[in-house]
Amino acid sequence: MLKLENVTKYYGDFKAVDNLSFEVNEGEIFGLLGINGAGKTTTFRMIMGLLDKTSGSITLNGKNIDYSVTDNIGFLTEERSLLTKLTVREQAIYFGSLKGMKNDKILERLDYLLNKFGINEYKDKKIKELSKGNQQKIQFITAILNEPKLLILDEPFSGLDPFNIELFKEEILNLSKKGSMIIFSSHRMDHVELFCKKLVILVNGKTVLEGNIKDIKESYQKKNIVLKGDIDLEKLKSIKGVEKLVEKSDEYEITISSKDVVGDVFKFISKCKNITKFVVEEPSLNEIFISKVGESYEK
Amino acid sequence: MKNKLKFLVNTSLKKKIKSKWFLVANLIIAVIIIAVINIDSIITLFGGDFNKKDKIYMLDETNEIYENFKQNLGYYETTLYGEENESYEVILENKSLDDLKKIISEDEKDSIIIQVYYNKDNRLSSKLISLSTMDTYDYQLISNALMTTTSMYTLNSIGLSEEQYNKIINGVEVEREILDENITSEDEDTGMIMTTVFPVLILPFFMLTIFLVQFIGSEVNDEKSTKSMEIIISNVSPKIHFAAKIIANNLFIFAQVVLIVMYAVMGFGIRKVVGGDSIINGIGSEVGNILKTLMSGALSDKFIFVLIFTIVLMLLTFIAYSLVAGILASMTTNAEDYQQVQVPIMITLLLGYYLSIMAGMFKGALFIKVLSFVPFISAILSPSLLILGQIGVIEMIISIVIMVLTVYLLMKYGLRIYKVGILNYSSTGMWKKMFSSIKNK
Repeated sequence: MLKLENVTKYYGDFKAVDNLSFEVNEGEIFGLLGINGAGKTTTFRMIMGLLDKTSGSITLNGKNIDYSVTDNIGFLTEERSLLTKLTVREQAIYFGSLKGMKNDKILERLDYLLNKFGINEYKDKKIKELSKGNQQKIQFITAILNEPKLLILDEPFSGLDPFNIELFKEEILNLSKKGSMIIFSSHRMDHVELFCKKLVILVNGKTVLEGNIKDIKESYQKKNIVLKGDIDLEKLKSIKGVEKLVEKSDEYEITISSKDVVGDVFKFISKCKNITKFVVEEPSLNEIFISKVGESYEK
Repeated sequence: MKNKLKFLVNTSLKKKIKSKWFLVANLIIAVIIIAVINIDSIITLFGGDFNKKDKIYMLDETNEIYENFKQNLGYYETTLYGEENESYEVILENKSLDDLKKIISEDEKDSIIIQVYYNKDNRLSSKLISLSTMDTYDYQLISNALMTTTSMYTLNSIGLSEEQYNKIINGVEVEREILDENITSEDEDTGMIMTTVFPVLILPFFMLTIFLVQFIGSEVNDEKSTKSMEIIISNVSPKIHFAAKIIANNLFIFAQVVLIVMYAVMGFGIRKVVGGDSIINGIGSEVGNILKTLMSGALSDKFIFVLIFTIVLMLLTFIAYSLVAGILASMTTNAEDYQQVQVPIMITLLLGYYLSIMAGMFKGALFIKVLSFVPFISAILSPSLLILGQIGVIEMIISIVIMVLTVYLLMKYGLRIYKVGILNYSSTGMWKKMFSSIKNK
């Protein structure tokens, strides 16, 4: 289990991470979310031992993370971190050997992963000759060469098309099934919703929301109702608790302040004609994220 | 971790050795070294003839100088100047001076005329005539042989007894006595050898140090600018990474030195097979003598000591320069930044180079002696001053001790800077960050 307890990091007088705590268990995929400068990369670098924390503790299976355990960790950085003058094979051998892997094992894994991502023909090509998306695949491949027990993915999907995102997703889920602990950050909330069961949202280094996604959504007061039919929109907006109305082609989506408002809306809608759709939905993670980040900024 | 260090060292070394520029650079170096050693054979190959004898036409009014001059010139050239063969053909001529002048002006432009005649005061005189200037070596050789011959003739003609004649000819024996008991006459020979050997060491040292500084800088910058440093340092400690860079690059420089020596050996091997002309002696008999001394193994113990101390000091200085280069490269974010921060290294190198070349000008001033202890400069300045007799072996040992201390301090405090620097991607406040990181433990 990866455990962060009250981790704080200062850069001079600037507090980059403020009293952050979370746990990631074996087989779990954990989301670390936040806008730019929220402290995600700093947190990852502290976990990897690249930065010293100011206070708090970070442990992996009860032990501090040092160079005796890094062979079991995979790390994909937000920016490209490949030696572009090397070929794909040389790069894999370089990073794999630094993970303590033997050459034959590295090449075996490389072949498997290159095949999986459909880029086997690039094995002897220099990295600088590859497209941005293919470089991202190579970066991902080198991060998971050692089938890490702990995998840290900082913005893994940047530069990828939907098809390749699916391939990444599949491999991440595979590793999760094998018991790997996976933490990842992304600006794309739809990706987070697809993978993560647990998450933390950081704003200015501070945790503004944490926990199980299901619980977070349930506990989030606001709900959405999708409607279709001949509706007097002015009257609908005047109902107490209806906060927002958005027209979406032939449908309407309203945001209500709490589930108690559902009854009032239903009562009004039942009087309208040609109603063909009335669906109460949980808010999307994106909405929750924007709402939480906004609240935090306002504070 | 030991395996990872070994892996990093191997990878760094292989990367350099397998590169095309290494092959090309070594081909050029090998060709230059072999060509320089066999320059006479190469010139001969293109039509030059070092065995061709130049003519000396002699107009001898005495009719007795010619034979003796011929003998003396041969003796001077082969015995005193150490040439393998005589390079002049001396011909007694009956033609007029004007006719001979016409010959050397039009046809035999390398020939020389020697006119021995009695002047108005009936004193024996001689004149050496050539179309253009002569090099100092040839002029000295011919004029010495001529002066000896004419002196012998004059002394003989005034009717001195054989005993008197021999006393004058043999002159006074010059004995050498050095009052400083620590210095023997062998040291003078050592000095002479080192004055010529040292420039042979100093230039490759200067060149290889520049290579070393460039290699380390570009390697660290490459890893930093591609951000792969994050992945590397998350798997190996900065200490291992730093050590790998220092070891790999110094090993590479050592390999390059071995290759240069091999090229020189190959050059001499080829020379032995092809059979060089006497140009080496012609260019400077010192080089020939040093090579003979080196090959015969008849070197004094002192010379060996000085050479060992110089090599030790140079090796330590290589390590120190590589440490500084690594530290500075770690703090910079790209190759352009590194080019700027390495300027002080280059200036220090140049300062040491020029000071060592001009060491003799300072005539043992305290200033230059103190500078010879300064790390980075000492590797080339100390041996220069030692050769000139301005410092002793003790001072050189002190320079080595100071250099060992410098390397230790650079390792200890430099690693602290390196740890912070390699993951620093901002060039603002670089020096401040560097100095504050020294306080980190």
